[in-house]
Amino acid sequence: MRRLILIALFLPLLAGCGNRNLILTVDILSFMDPASKVVNYSIPVPVPNDTVEVFSDSLNLLQGVGDVTRAVAASMDIAASFDNTSGAATGNLLIYIASADSSNPFTTTPFADVPFQLFAGQVTNVSTHVEASAALAEVLTHDRAKVGVRVVFNGTSFPIQGTETLTQLQATVIMKKDL
Amino acid sequence: MLKAVLLIFLILLGGLGAGKAEAQSLNARRLGMGGVLTSDVGDHAGSNIAFRAVPKGTGGSGSIPLPLGLIQYIGDHPTYDSKDSTFNVYEIANVFLNPPLTIQLVKPEEVSGDISIFVAQDSLRVDLADVRRVIPEHSMKQGGVVHVGGIGKSFGRAFLNVGPLVHLRNELILSDELRNALRDAVPFTSNTRYGLTDDGRAQAAIAFQAGYALRLLHQASEGEKDSNDPRRNGVTALYVGAAPKYLLGLAYGDAHSTGGVTTGDTLFASGNPVTIDEETVTRHAVAGGDGGVGTGFGSDVGAVLYFHNFELGLGLNDFGSQIKWKTTVRRHLYDDATNQFTTVQVAQDEEFTSRIPVTTTINVAKRIGRTTIAADIVDGDLRTTMHAGAEMWFGMFALRSGVYRDQNQMMQFAGGGGYRFGKIGLDLAIATNSRNIERERGAELSASLSLY
Repeated sequence: MRRLILIALFLPLLAGCGNRNLILTVDILSFMDPASKVVNYSIPVPVPNDTVEVFSDSLNLLQGVGDVTRAVAASMDIAASFDNTSGAATGNLLIYIASADSSNPFTTTPFADVPFQLFAGQVTNVSTHVEASAALAEVLTHDRAKVGVRVVFNGTSFPIQGTETLTQLQATVIMKKDL
Repeated sequence: MLKAVLLIFLILLGGLGAGKAEAQSLNARRLGMGGVLTSDVGDHAGSNIAFRAVPKGTGGSGSIPLPLGLIQYIGDHPTYDSKDSTFNVYEIANVFLNPPLTIQLVKPEEVSGDISIFVAQDSLRVDLADVRRVIPEHSMKQGGVVHVGGIGKSFGRAFLNVGPLVHLRNELILSDELRNALRDAVPFTSNTRYGLTDDGRAQAAIAFQAGYALRLLHQASEGEKDSNDPRRNGVTALYVGAAPKYLLGLAYGDAHSTGGVTTGDTLFASGNPVTIDEETVTRHAVAGGDGGVGTGFGSDVGAVLYFHNFELGLGLNDFGSQIKWKTTVRRHLYDDATNQFTTVQVAQDEEFTSRIPVTTTINVAKRIGRTTIAADIVDGDLRTTMHAGAEMWFGMFALRSGVYRDQNQMMQFAGGGGYRFGKIGLDLAIATNSRNIERERGAELSASLSLY
């Protein structure tokens, strides 16, 4: 509760505004441990595909907001940077978001799937904007949510080595009053 | 709990503009003249007790409001159901600030729009968009002294009156940091206190008043042969009045509160990212309860001078009015460490004298034939307003116009007309005002009957 006191102060203003919206944008990335944003990958030998789990954790997102608001829509902006030092691959950056009572966010369907293509010695930036379902929006407004980031490589030249950095993970939730 | 906090916040918000609103005038004749006050236009005795002694003139002796705005309200009013998609608390607040007794010709645009909040671990920016309009640049003041009805009886130049008196006052001050964050969407920063201070006071009493008003000086004029109206017969005369009053205090309460939220090194760090402080000191007394009734005295005094159809009036209401109470003082303190409020009784039956703020009315008027030109300044507890206006009669028709500076420091404009049917006249006026939570200009049509 105390964590979001500053935000809660402004919810009454929304409540007075009839059929209006509270547009809450949360920079999820800023709440993550800086070390979690970066992962070094190394796939030395040819395999059909390899998966690197970048991040999986339970985060306090919009705690307390759900008490007085009802999420009606949500979207996410995701961006990552691959500094690929050797090898080549295609792949997918997968984002998972699950409710806090979920044991493992990776057991759910990916919320976002961002394809990429890597070449040796090149930095590749990828980004996407994903509209989420209302159900997922509700998840974002609960006290906690589990977030997971996974990268799947389909190598074409080995060894594949480099560094993947999450550069944007921003959620926008549109809520209505629920007093 | 959160809902309760939010509802309190809403109520507070709804009251932001209350004190900023000048009282609605239902006297279309006075409104058409910019709300100006003279001894025969507007409040005939309430603002200057000396007016009681002035002979009734041709200018009228009273008015009966015609609340045409109720018809408009019945056909188009805001929803009071918070579940309804069109529910808008600002629209409801405007109904209270500007009761639907006059027809609203121009309404300020309703406060609406989405609110955007951006949150990062060390960043918070709130864009209230249209809602910014309800947050004033300075403190939010509301209240005033109200003499509610009462009963009275005149005995020649003397009179007796018994009536309730209510004084309300509240001032809410936002810290610069909080105001900037709300009004200008300045991002919240770390290690900063966002605070507010609120001073509220309310007291109620019954006033037992005995008064006397008389003509003190008189120099005859030729015009007196045709009319005894000193406003128009060219006479030089001074009328004075005084009405001491005994005040039986029924209840008194005040509260001085300071509170705030201080951000930490990181706005949304784990642990305790904010520190909350809140302290309130209250003082109260109530008939039948703590401290019992209060007792005090006050007075209304006034004078009005006529000189060659020129009128100069000075009225002081609640002059020197004070009430003595035996009060209970308590201190309420929020402990951030334990997340609990503690209340300590600082004093019991402590002698305390409250003051009823004086309301000063200065008015001038000049009658030239059937034309009246007038102006006034009314200085009260929270506001000083100025009005100026004129009335010209053409046979049974009257044309009126005026301007006034309201408590929001905005110039407002008025105009109107009237037709006299013997002892009764029908008056219409169109006037602008800023009696709304947005403090923006609107316009209304008022109607009333004048008694001549």
